[in-house]
Amino acid sequence: MEQIFTLAFLTSFLSAAVSTAIPLAYASMGEIYSEKAGILNIGLEANMLAGAFCSFAVAYTSGSLWMGLLGGIVGGLAVCMLHAFISVRLAQNQTICGIALNIFLLGISSYFLKILVSNNPAFPQVATFPKLAIPGLSAIPLIGEALFNQNILVYILYLLIGISHVLLKHTQWGNSLTAVGEHPRAADTVGIRVYRTQYLAAAINGMLGGMSGAYMVLAQLGVFTENMTAGRGYIALAVVIFGRREPIRAALAALLFGAAECMQFRMQALGIDLPAQFMNMLPYLITMIALLGSIGKQRDPESLGKPYIRDAR
Amino acid sequence: MRKYTVQVARALVYTGLTLAVATLLILGAGASPLQCAGVFIRGIFGSLNGFAEVLVKAAPLMLAGLGISIGFRSGFFNIGAEGQMYMGAIAATVVAMWPVQMPSWIHVTLAMAAAFLAGGLWAFIPGILKAKFGISEIINTLMLNYIAFDLTGILIRGVLQDSTDYLPQSPALGPELAGILAPTRLHAGFLLALLMVLAVWWLMEHTPTGFELQVVGSNKRAARCLGINVMKSIVIASCLGGGLAGIAGAGELLGIQHRLLEGLVGGSGYTAILVALLGRNNPWGVLAASIGFAALQVGANTMQRQMGIPAAIVSILTGFIVILLLCDALILKLIEKRKVEGAA
Amino acid sequence: MELLEMKGIVKAFPGVIANNHVNLSVKAGEIHALLGENGAGKTTLMNILYGLYQADSGSVFWKGEKVHFHSPLDAIAAGIGMVHQHFTLIPTMTVLQNIILGLKEKGYPFIKITEITESIQALAKRYGLAVDVKKRVSELSVGEQQRVEILKALYRGAELLVLDEPTAVLTPQETCEFFEVLRRLKSEGHAVILITHRMAEIMAISDRVTILRDGSDLAVMNTQDTDPASLAKLMIGSELPERPVIEPHKGDAAPLLELKDIVVKKERISRLAISLQVYPGEIVGIAGVDGNGQKELAEVICGILSASQGTIQYDGQDITKATVYQRFRRGIAYISDDRHHDGLVLDMNLRQNLMLRKYKLSPYTKHGCLNRNKMDEFSSSCIGKYQIKPPSPGIKMRLLSGGNQQKAILAREISEEAKLIVACQPTRGLDIGATMQVRSILAEQRNRGAGILLISADLDEILSLSDRIAVLFRGQLMGVLDNGAELKTETIGSMMGGRPLAEGETTYA
Repeated sequence: MEQIFTLAFLTSFLSAAVSTAIPLAYASMGEIYSEKAGILNIGLEANMLAGAFCSFAVAYTSGSLWMGLLGGIVGGLAVCMLHAFISVRLAQNQTICGIALNIFLLGISSYFLKILVSNNPAFPQVATFPKLAIPGLSAIPLIGEALFNQNILVYILYLLIGISHVLLKHTQWGNSLTAVGEHPRAADTVGIRVYRTQYLAAAINGMLGGMSGAYMVLAQLGVFTENMTAGRGYIALAVVIFGRREPIRAALAALLFGAAECMQFRMQALGIDLPAQFMNMLPYLITMIALLGSIGKQRDPESLGKPYIRDAR
Repeated sequence: MRKYTVQVARALVYTGLTLAVATLLILGAGASPLQCAGVFIRGIFGSLNGFAEVLVKAAPLMLAGLGISIGFRSGFFNIGAEGQMYMGAIAATVVAMWPVQMPSWIHVTLAMAAAFLAGGLWAFIPGILKAKFGISEIINTLMLNYIAFDLTGILIRGVLQDSTDYLPQSPALGPELAGILAPTRLHAGFLLALLMVLAVWWLMEHTPTGFELQVVGSNKRAARCLGINVMKSIVIASCLGGGLAGIAGAGELLGIQHRLLEGLVGGSGYTAILVALLGRNNPWGVLAASIGFAALQVGANTMQRQMGIPAAIVSILTGFIVILLLCDALILKLIEKRKVEGAA
Repeated sequence: MELLEMKGIVKAFPGVIANNHVNLSVKAGEIHALLGENGAGKTTLMNILYGLYQADSGSVFWKGEKVHFHSPLDAIAAGIGMVHQHFTLIPTMTVLQNIILGLKEKGYPFIKITEITESIQALAKRYGLAVDVKKRVSELSVGEQQRVEILKALYRGAELLVLDEPTAVLTPQETCEFFEVLRRLKSEGHAVILITHRMAEIMAISDRVTILRDGSDLAVMNTQDTDPASLAKLMIGSELPERPVIEPHKGDAAPLLELKDIVVKKERISRLAISLQVYPGEIVGIAGVDGNGQKELAEVICGILSASQGTIQYDGQDITKATVYQRFRRGIAYISDDRHHDGLVLDMNLRQNLMLRKYKLSPYTKHGCLNRNKMDEFSSSCIGKYQIKPPSPGIKMRLLSGGNQQKAILAREISEEAKLIVACQPTRGLDIGATMQVRSILAEQRNRGAGILLISADLDEILSLSDRIAVLFRGQLMGVLDNGAELKTETIGSMMGGRPLAEGETTYA
């Protein structure tokens, strides 16, 4: 049990936790934009699978990881825009749309994978983004290895977290976005283009979701496997709630969920007698309690999930 | 009359589109669509086993789908069927492992009753949170899915583990749902599912409770103004939904797997949501949609075995159909537009 | 030069002419009151000014030039600001964020908080609108929120401010502070259009007043040249409509319904504070401009809202804690003013809507099972009795006309067992034929011995049906009068404008 406090253990644990958390962080950040604009996108799995598969296919055929990343971004974007079209323009039920897209993409990605594999004698693989240590910072004990000896996509994430934080909290565009999700009619009266804003938020959601999937392929596994997202898209929804729809908080929440997942595999080795699943369960329990804690306090954007229909007077 | 033709036309167009997509997918896999169609149909109707498999797969979808449809009609978005099925299976396992001597059919009935209660209880949590505090049930039911799955994992490695070996599963359960079509896998759970279709239809169309649920789902505010206890209705809708999903899980347990294990539900809780939708939240529609979906699954599995078409084709087509249905609104809008322009 | 001139504005909606050649002119530095009852055309006129509606004919001149506003953004750009009755503020955002919402301020896209705060506070100081820009709107009182709305308009350069019933949500203290703000606006050269029905306020603060009635502008006068009584007379007209002979109500000893010191609060503000009796066999008309507590009165009687204080006695029992269902069973019927949200389930069919109150009762439910035949019988009889068209029980409620929808509600609510009928704006949005039908049904019920509480913004309706007339203003009763020959319109008009009945004026306690 004392092992848990050795530097070696903690450092490797933190590294693993960060790695595991990255896809969640990307996906949840995108969803924050979407929910702030009033669209509840349950279909994050779809974005991520599209991103993962497209990035794999493009990277494999073009030989370039960066082209692959672009492919992943475009894939996620396309899927999310479909969701936005159905939610905003057609004003259909967002939850149903999300689940249908999840199942659809699961099928499509598996199908295309099989086609790709059957046309190639050897199992296709791509290289992954290499680790880049940031000089100086990566030497910090304990966190240096975990945070600053990672691949480029992680560093891009850090940048995006910072940008999102500033964008959402300190700019007028961020204000307009919040207004659209809270009180679209009020936003409309001051001239904010409600639908355009929602589509933009969905586009960002799609791109970040695509990056999330691309990360899993291009930075972690090097291949696309069937259902490789394994429900992470749903977990990202919990991360968004736990993180109170703020980018920095959500990133920390993602880290927490990542740590819980990593903890599972280490518990036996540490001699902790609790079943591994207990750690797995904990983040979800905590999210539900967090939801309970919001009783009385209006945490959800007022118009979340409700399509805005301009009244014909 | 014209409205009827429009509806039929739309159904034909959607079927046509779906078949077109299926054809494309088959061609993409390098096979002949006609051949595959043959294999598909033979897979379902060609043998007793194939036919029975369709009904076997349809049963849990029907039960869970019925529960979800009750929720949808009452305004309660139950995405937690997956977790409720696991909870039902856990309860049924516990009762089935009870070492008291009794006739098998009583033991099975008790297990199913326990499953209903467990599933209902699991849905009660998000139900009461919505009814009393207005907390969205979408995220809550989703979280409970994961918690139920992990709970199952914990139990089958612990208290409920088969002591004879190290696999994460419960011991083989004695009580089982009787087979009704030897030598196929078809079991009494399917009959139970059919019974439930009737029961749900009766509830929704012929009882005051069912009427109330529909009113609440359609206009919560008016329901309140007219004296309906909205809180009670939401709780009833959620518990019934969870209970039916619980039975679905127990059915898989006692009729097919005979052991509690992690893959018991395997995503059918989510599929049941689409089944409810495709069935237009109507019990007979759910019946048809679940059999339709199961047939699709069995046929696709056969196509995969014999022709190498990835079975993922099922997910693709189901997702596609639901998305089409969602876009239905656009078609309607275009028709309206044509009408208005025509009149001008 | 007139700052604003609206000439010959005509706007018609299906079935009603909302603005009939209306003229309005406002000078710079003037507080101009726009007076009229519900339906007089005030809101329509202002919506046209603000670009929300387009006039059918007529012209608008702003600063001497002809203008045509296609949307609120045009009006705002020209220098017209509007503060609606329902605020368009985002509760979770701060005052500063709300004020600059949608604008491209200097430093875009970033918000230069210090600079902007300074300019807002300078503005606030100039007009006496003290407000903490860092606070969230949800933390502000209603009075403070209103100040933010005004600041929002001023920040966008409004020279003319249109305020729609601004004091409706203010306490008397806040109203005084609000008047100060108006005076400051005036001294800074702004013009204000004040839409109101409150005489005291018109007299206290306005320079001129334009009176609208039934879509036409009746008069414009300098406030100092007039008085509340004349204004009241102009607002509702000096002639009483033809009233059917009402059988004098036989005085019963015990009231059917008695509200004692009922207080209803919404968001910590008292919306209703009242004591009232209704006797069997009479119609008590509650007059008053919409928004003075009428809806709260109806809902507290029917059980939809609970009172924070007071008791309700009905038919000899205390029903203060009774549920909506229990009250209906004891004979309280409710015709809501919002039939689409409160009274009907539009996606269900006619038969189902007619059964909405009775489906649980025998003979419609027996042994836990709905009896379709009995339900069909009931709906057929309703359709026949009330002449609901089209007479098919399976038709979706959405497809029926407003009049038929209302008749369906009446058919459902009114029966032999209904002892008290609460009717809220029962003929709103109905054509003449349906209106007459509904009114005669109510009169019939009264003659049958039911007690009716008729809440209506249509004074003609109140006058033609009621035995006694009460006026609600700011949630309080201004007085109760007999609807006799001696009734003076000025009295009612003044009460609607906020003047309580004086001692000796009541002819019936």
